[in-house]
Amino acid sequence: MSAEVEAGKTGSRWKLSLDTWAVLVAFLLALLVRTGVFKHIPW
Amino acid sequence: MADVITVPQVRPVQPALRFLRVIPGVLLLAAVGYAGKLLEQNVGAYAKVHHWTFPNIEYVLWAIILGLVISNTVGVPEIFRTGVATYEFWLKAGIVLLGARFLLGDILKLGGASLVLVAIEIAGSLAFMTFLGRLFKLKPKLTTLLAVGSAVCGVSAIIATKGAIEADDEDSSFSIAAILALGALALFTFPVIGHFLHLSDRVYGLWAGLGVDNTAEATAAGALYSDAAGKLAVLVKSTRNAMIGFVVLGYAIYWASKGQAQAVGNKAAFLWQKFPKFVLGFLLISVLATYHFFSKEQVGALANLSRWAFLLTFAGVGLRTNFSDMRKQGLRPFAVGAIGEVVIAGFTLALVYGAGKIFGW
Repeated sequence: MSAEVEAGKTGSRWKLSLDTWAVLVAFLLALLVRTGVFKHIPW
Repeated sequence: MADVITVPQVRPVQPALRFLRVIPGVLLLAAVGYAGKLLEQNVGAYAKVHHWTFPNIEYVLWAIILGLVISNTVGVPEIFRTGVATYEFWLKAGIVLLGARFLLGDILKLGGASLVLVAIEIAGSLAFMTFLGRLFKLKPKLTTLLAVGSAVCGVSAIIATKGAIEADDEDSSFSIAAILALGALALFTFPVIGHFLHLSDRVYGLWAGLGVDNTAEATAAGALYSDAAGKLAVLVKSTRNAMIGFVVLGYAIYWASKGQAQAVGNKAAFLWQKFPKFVLGFLLISVLATYHFFSKEQVGALANLSRWAFLLTFAGVGLRTNFSDMRKQGLRPFAVGAIGEVVIAGFTLALVYGAGKIFGW
């Protein structure tokens, strides 16, 4: 959780932690499922 | 040691190039994880057709074993390492998505009970590891790192504490190697002991969440037992992770008072900086699920996405574990860690067993 990953810009205010990136990606996926873009995820 | 510490290095490279660099390793994680899933499906069926007696081995274990074999035979080539290090990212994304399978009431009920156990576990583990470190005459800051790694959340806690108390790189490498080696052992011993003692899913899940240090290993150790135990192990482990800021802050203040670390300025900002944000994501998704933001089918889809994320994580656990690198780190920190882990595992087992009897789990 302390590992820092650069968010794409060189300025430090754009740096997000690995945790934050994981949360953002998880919420993006949840949104895609909620809006029906991903209707069925097989396992 | 570089392939044991899995923190991605921050280098001034273009975002597109950085993205491209992770692709080979992520593909390797996916290939190893999917091979584990195929082995689970096919080996059992093959054995049944040929009337062989073969234990049902879950994809979790296959993925870890395949990763371990690759890492400890041919090794993980440099081109894959950046991508393999993303296994922690997939773990945290998987935990957030897993929140959809928890109702808020269950979290408050289980989290409340586990919070007491977590507090006892953290206090007991910190005290015992500090005592062991002094007994074995380890360097004080090394003892602090081992204590935090054992009591709270493994590698992440060690890295967070290292910065706060200004510990040596060598000390953090020792601690991380010991915690990772012991986590790998816990993966294989916890489920065996759990089955031997006929622990219920709830008691075992609590035990794995309390007793296994690293989040990835705790998740895997829980999933190896059962789906229900895996869910609970993640919840309890996340509760432990949430305590990281307080423990690190306590040690930072202690070492600053001795003049061996910088004083902590804004304590609230310090706590927020160290707080694992994925725990908040997990809670938020479970709030949304509780208030029916997702349909039943959508919750199923999110649960499956979480499983895919964990599949990459379990492959990464195997791929980043290199026993020869760990051997190079020396015996004494490992011995302290090993003795500590055995005692903590026994202590936490007694704790959850006692709680199980009281609450009828």
